[in-house]
Amino acid sequence: MSLQKILFSPVTRLSGLLSVELGINDGCIVSADVSSTMFRGFEYIMRGRNVADAVYMTQRICGICSTAHGAVASYLLDELYDNDIEENAQYLRNIMFAADFLQNHIRHFYFFGLPDFVIMPENPLFHNQNCFDCRLDASDNRRLAGHYIEAVKAAQKSHQILALFGGKAPHQHSFIYGGVAVAPTVDMINQAQALIHDIQEFIKRYMLPDTELLSRCYDDYFHIGETPGCFLSFGLFRFGSKNEQVLWKGGVLEGDSLTQPRLDLIQTDISKSWFERDQSRKDGDISPSPYKLGAYTWVKAILYRGKHYEGGPLARMTINDYYKGGTSTMDRIVSRSLETLLITDLLTEWLNRLEPGPAPLKQKKVLVKNQAIFTTDAMRGALLHSAYIKDNQIEKYDIITPTAWNFSPKDIAGYRGPAETALVGTQISSPELKYVIPGRIIRSFDPCLSCATHLLDYRTNSIDQIVY
Amino acid sequence: MEKNVFLRLCREYGCNNNYAFSEKIIPTVREYIKRPNNSKMPVIWLETSDSGDNNIAFMNTTYPYLNQVFSDMIDLFYSNTFMAAQGRDALELLDKTVTAYYGKFTLVVEGAIPTKDNGIYNVIARTKKRCLTALDAVTLLGTAAKYVVAIGTCASFGGASAAAPNLTESVGVGKVLKREVINVSGCPVNPDWFVGTLAHLIMYGRPELDDLGRPTLFYGNTVHKHCQRRSYFDKKDFAETLGDTECMFTQGCMGPRTGSDCPYRQWVNHVSWPVKVNTPCIGCTNENFPDSSAPFFTPLPQKNKGKQVDNQQQSSTEKGE
Repeated sequence: MSLQKILFSPVTRLSGLLSVELGINDGCIVSADVSSTMFRGFEYIMRGRNVADAVYMTQRICGICSTAHGAVASYLLDELYDNDIEENAQYLRNIMFAADFLQNHIRHFYFFGLPDFVIMPENPLFHNQNCFDCRLDASDNRRLAGHYIEAVKAAQKSHQILALFGGKAPHQHSFIYGGVAVAPTVDMINQAQALIHDIQEFIKRYMLPDTELLSRCYDDYFHIGETPGCFLSFGLFRFGSKNEQVLWKGGVLEGDSLTQPRLDLIQTDISKSWFERDQSRKDGDISPSPYKLGAYTWVKAILYRGKHYEGGPLARMTINDYYKGGTSTMDRIVSRSLETLLITDLLTEWLNRLEPGPAPLKQKKVLVKNQAIFTTDAMRGALLHSAYIKDNQIEKYDIITPTAWNFSPKDIAGYRGPAETALVGTQISSPELKYVIPGRIIRSFDPCLSCATHLLDYRTNSIDQIVY
Repeated sequence: MEKNVFLRLCREYGCNNNYAFSEKIIPTVREYIKRPNNSKMPVIWLETSDSGDNNIAFMNTTYPYLNQVFSDMIDLFYSNTFMAAQGRDALELLDKTVTAYYGKFTLVVEGAIPTKDNGIYNVIARTKKRCLTALDAVTLLGTAAKYVVAIGTCASFGGASAAAPNLTESVGVGKVLKREVINVSGCPVNPDWFVGTLAHLIMYGRPELDDLGRPTLFYGNTVHKHCQRRSYFDKKDFAETLGDTECMFTQGCMGPRTGSDCPYRQWVNHVSWPVKVNTPCIGCTNENFPDSSAPFFTPLPQKNKGKQVDNQQQSSTEKGE
């Protein structure tokens, strides 16, 4: 049988725009190009702006994980101003960040993931659903489909916690450099406690049993969409007056070897991306090049020590010994649901520790540095912000997003990123499943292409080396 | 429900009746749709150049909740975010819907439209023959739609996606269509503004629009006019820093120049808004957001010295004062 091409476009039920081109030989995926088809150029937008605007501006990169960008931009500014963060501020920051995680994970599982496995009810929203491989029996199917409505409320409540303390959601206002601007009151804390109680009930009663059921009925997906298990996390939930501690440790995991991530080992590679290097500029600045031959995406390849790494709940949970399993599609789904429950416990504990009182905010006025890099994990993996400042203005602002790691195109040597690796080698057992199987694999990474297209590199001296 | 009652509820901002409007949308629309010749509104939703924050904000709608909007108000035939169909099957639905509801569907656009290089910076889908750019799709569907609703500031005016230096030459939907576009701006949109606009379109047709094409129901007054901290402003009692409880004007507040009902509508089940958490309004519903609001924490008179700020827009929102 000869090589067949499948153009999977659009890949729906995710944030942003994604197309995937697959090569199929004898029913097996032999090649995959994951292609992000949108470019906004946020790195360029950031230049020349007042550095203090970074928290609110970078949140506009992404609607589903805005707090992650606000968080890391705040950490970065804390370092530039040498701010000291009060304990109460760290509880508030992590409460807001955690609430955004819950929102993301619940919406991903039910709104984006569920129609991959469950026959959805009659509504135009679900027309043309491919139910060729929906395996639940009628009563289980009806029950899970009904949980979509419960998820609507649980996710809304998660964002209500974020808005209670952050003023609004997405794009909260109070988690900012120097601490948190909101003055936590007893009634806010009480309301948040009631909300997190409901959310936790939802996760225990619905999300975990639903995950368990899917993992049983679709247990072949424990062997579909596997990656080599090269995991990277920057750690999650920062504490300490200088944001120096992380509650969930970061790490670079390969086999049994766990090391701390070194930022100087991160490289970007634009050989398959629609960018080219501006030779006329000394700093090797790059510019968009939408017609570049051989390129197929707006995402740049991100490499660590010359290799691709996968991030996300599975990476975090494995690195922190909360999950011991494989590297498959279903492992990614299960670890995300388990992480959701762990986060509700943390959020509950932080609310109990949060003291009512004035706004825990102390913003110093003078920059003590003109350059800083900070990291955190976001919902779908490792996130890095880096800034160069001159006269209070941003000279360069660089962002490496989680989806850039996971949806990296091939590097200059032709090695595939995690999502492409997960796709290649997969059997498409029936032509009816040409979108279904790749769709399940792709969504298990929880891709966010709004984010992914915003990264930029700098100061390169060779084709693809950047050193932080 | 009589139109004037609906309008009054939308505008209502007394303390006791905060939720009256949103709670009444569903029963009212449901009753309306049951009448002969009435039906749910067919909708095609295109995601173009934005952060996806507006679909997330829309998911935060309460009274009606998201599932109630889907079951009782709109038939959402195409949405990259929500639809079960994928790949060719999704595009087929798009074709079918345009044919079946030509001149009857509402086009919702979320995001700015890149225009440089024929819009190649935003491709909604690829087929074997071509790349369907946001520019192509919006131009094509815009002529076939009964109403065009731009959700969020990117779709309304370009927003963050069109912020300087705007490499992709992105613009709001109204700039690429030769027809009326209803702008429901905000970064992100408040779900009440969007769902309220849909309810108005379903029951009474086109709402009254301001000179920026936005429903006056929600954008007709400035934030400043109804701000809980207005008395501090009037007494010139200003915050010295973020986190203070006085007027945020000194901290860069855009309230005096921003048309929106945030102080009484508030966000995510109506629980809070930026000034309530001791930070300034950054004017996210405005035509030139974010550039005309920057630097965000610099007082209004000193904002963006040297950068062009559209004077016409400032005067139009100040009318609400």
